[in-house]
Amino acid sequence: MRMIRLIGWRLLQVVPVVLMATVAIFALVQMVPGDPAAVIAGEYATADNIAAIRQELGLDRPVWLQYATWLGGAFQGDLSDSLITGLPVLDEVLRRLPNTLLLAVLALLISIVVGVPLGILAATKSETALDRAATSIASLGVAVPNFWLGMIFVATLSLGLGWFPTTGAVPITQDFWGALHHAALPALTLATAGIAEITRQLRSAMIEVLSSQYARTLRAKGLSRASILWKHGLRNVSLTLLTVIGLVFNHTLGATVATEAVFAIPGAGSMIVSSAVSKDFPMVQGIVFVLVLIVITMNLIIDLLYVMLDPRAAKK
Amino acid sequence: MSHGNDQQGSVSADLRRRQLLKMMGAGTAMALLPNTIASRAVAQDGATKGGVLRLAAPFNPTSLDPVTSGAGSDHMVLYSIYDTLVDFEPDTLQPRPGLATAWEFETPTRLVFTLREGVKFHDGSDFDAEAVKANLERALTHPRSSAKGDLQSLKSVEVLGPHKVALNTSQPNTALPLILADRPGMMASPAAFEGGDRNPVGTGAFRFKRWDDGAVIDLVRFDDYWDEEIPYLDGLTYQVITDLNTGLRSVIAGENHFAYRLNPQQKLVADRVGDRVVVSSAPTVAVYHLVFNYGKAPLDDVRVRQAINYAIDRQAFNQAALMNLGTVAQTMLPPDYWAHDEGLNEFYTLDQEKARKLLAEAGHADGLDLEFFSYSDQASQQRSEVIMEQLRQVGINCRLISASSAEMYQRFMVEGQGDMMMVLWTGRPDPVQGFLFVYGEDGANNAGHVPPPPELAEAMADALVGQTQEERKPAFARMEKAALEHALSSEVAFVPGIEVYSPKVGGYEPNLLGKPKFNRLHLKN
Repeated sequence: MRMIRLIGWRLLQVVPVVLMATVAIFALVQMVPGDPAAVIAGEYATADNIAAIRQELGLDRPVWLQYATWLGGAFQGDLSDSLITGLPVLDEVLRRLPNTLLLAVLALLISIVVGVPLGILAATKSETALDRAATSIASLGVAVPNFWLGMIFVATLSLGLGWFPTTGAVPITQDFWGALHHAALPALTLATAGIAEITRQLRSAMIEVLSSQYARTLRAKGLSRASILWKHGLRNVSLTLLTVIGLVFNHTLGATVATEAVFAIPGAGSMIVSSAVSKDFPMVQGIVFVLVLIVITMNLIIDLLYVMLDPRAAKK
Repeated sequence: MSHGNDQQGSVSADLRRRQLLKMMGAGTAMALLPNTIASRAVAQDGATKGGVLRLAAPFNPTSLDPVTSGAGSDHMVLYSIYDTLVDFEPDTLQPRPGLATAWEFETPTRLVFTLREGVKFHDGSDFDAEAVKANLERALTHPRSSAKGDLQSLKSVEVLGPHKVALNTSQPNTALPLILADRPGMMASPAAFEGGDRNPVGTGAFRFKRWDDGAVIDLVRFDDYWDEEIPYLDGLTYQVITDLNTGLRSVIAGENHFAYRLNPQQKLVADRVGDRVVVSSAPTVAVYHLVFNYGKAPLDDVRVRQAINYAIDRQAFNQAALMNLGTVAQTMLPPDYWAHDEGLNEFYTLDQEKARKLLAEAGHADGLDLEFFSYSDQASQQRSEVIMEQLRQVGINCRLISASSAEMYQRFMVEGQGDMMMVLWTGRPDPVQGFLFVYGEDGANNAGHVPPPPELAEAMADALVGQTQEERKPAFARMEKAALEHALSSEVAFVPGIEVYSPKVGGYEPNLLGKPKFNRLHLKN
């Protein structure tokens, strides 16, 4: 019952967040100078030409009316049509989103699989050469821009060794292994930041737990180091880990913009860029709207997992 | 890549049979047989048939309807789907038969085309004089038509017979044949006019299959193409990869076969790769130039415009921005081009003293501030910075303002903001088109909409009267000279057409227009 109330309450909170997000995106796109009608009219357009297009698209209407029309449609599941191509925004989003989600999920998995052991290792061997190596790798992962790393990966692992394709994506519904093969390198690129984040956070949380008074008590009680680490330590850092995983996923989703460009992946990130440049605001609006929904859902899942792991969280 | 191979196998098996029958019918030496059976089918000129060519396309097209297409970069897809009424020789841009087999100016204002017979649109309908009329009228009346400027002088289209059509113009216009080698001459099936920008139906070697916006365009071979020899390929797949470096990498890695419209910087990268790719660098008529808004101060003063022309070190620009692969420019017509007057090649050379003197005479002895418009991509910024530094040395300080090309174009050309803008004029088949666009009073690239000086206006009109290139040549020389004397713009350098492709690709021939055509390409075994 408490769980259901919690879910209901969180869902209610989603509404103003989504609304605010759409207003913010709309305002930002409006603030960018330029005119989608000019983009459509092309290189040799006349003023009349552009005015006619603006009228055809309803861009001559007041801004608030344009927003209200969009919002009205969005609530009925209609994200309207692209200004530039005339294609339904929802179709375009659904066509491109799977590529981006695959990257983000794969990157998250790599981050966890590599970051968690690395963090634990660094914590248990704290202040040794191993720890310093692990934290150095983590710092590097945070510091190195992933578009640069992506190019280095392509130059070595793709062009040099020929292990991975350099560009493109394969729909996962068409060819599962092909899709993974194409996504591997960009996901690895994206994962470096996540690995770093998870390693660092897990290390410091784990060190805190292991040096706490109750850990000392457990040791005094005669429990083995392994048992303290795996049974008590890990359970106590699980909340930190969960928080970091949520943050890493959301951050990774945003970072796909640059990575998709480097690997020429037709995903949501590259779509935001091209649409923003051509001021195709229904498109930008639509894709960001869907991404906001994904992030909110992710946060909701994390919150629910909190409650399952630590009943005290529900009371707060 | 691996997906298509099985299919190719069966296609080539079928072709092999057809080829064999053909060869036997022609009484070809039977000694050839074992070879033919062993390999894939070989077309008459040695090109193999079959395979899908994968291209790294640097641009997502604005439209696949030639009438609404809004960028000179759309041609690389449009030429595959549509034939033009008139074609051109790749290396000289001389007109040659396309969908029209012959043409003749009955009077200076009446051009009669004889059309090719037996040509079909991809939807199965016949290409005829009625279709030509419908296409040209649509180009004149469509609200979003980008062809109106080119067809300004076209008054009416008359159908004289199923394969004969007359174009009546309001004034002599001998540029029309070559204008019709460009987008205005691309013939679409009238039945598909309503299909809009994304359902193209032409008569070209490839028909449209799919366009995932910003990602991929698939074209497949048109089996009923009028030229039975081509296409050799089963299809073309354009992968839209807007980052040129990524596009190039995809070719080096063997994922795509062909990358076009690369920058000189990428040629250096490709050269280092060795024999994994073939690098082609060829001259084009596309030119980087500074267009001025001379409808307002300070560029309404010819001395200031001349000063800019004297301040620019074209050779240094070529070296810094184009890796010395371009050709320095004086006018919009390149050296060695039929319409260009070679006597003008040294008209403006670097002379900072003269530039300063002209500026002082114009009242800017203490320096001059200009608003310089450019595009925001890295290569454009770099080119602009080279120019800004050169101008700074004579006391012209530029404030660089940049955004996407569409936006800057609108602000400069339509709204009249800014003083000058750096533009790539991609060139047109007929040399008069550029002059009309940039200097004509209604020219889309004449930001100030100032009427051209009388001697230029006269020369432009004369260039539309002569029938042969020889007859037109003197008018072009006058046009170039007038544009230079009045310093109406500042041409800096012609860009090289740089293509990088797999050694498997055969039959590629660069053209002077700098817009590659893929109709005759094939994939080797």
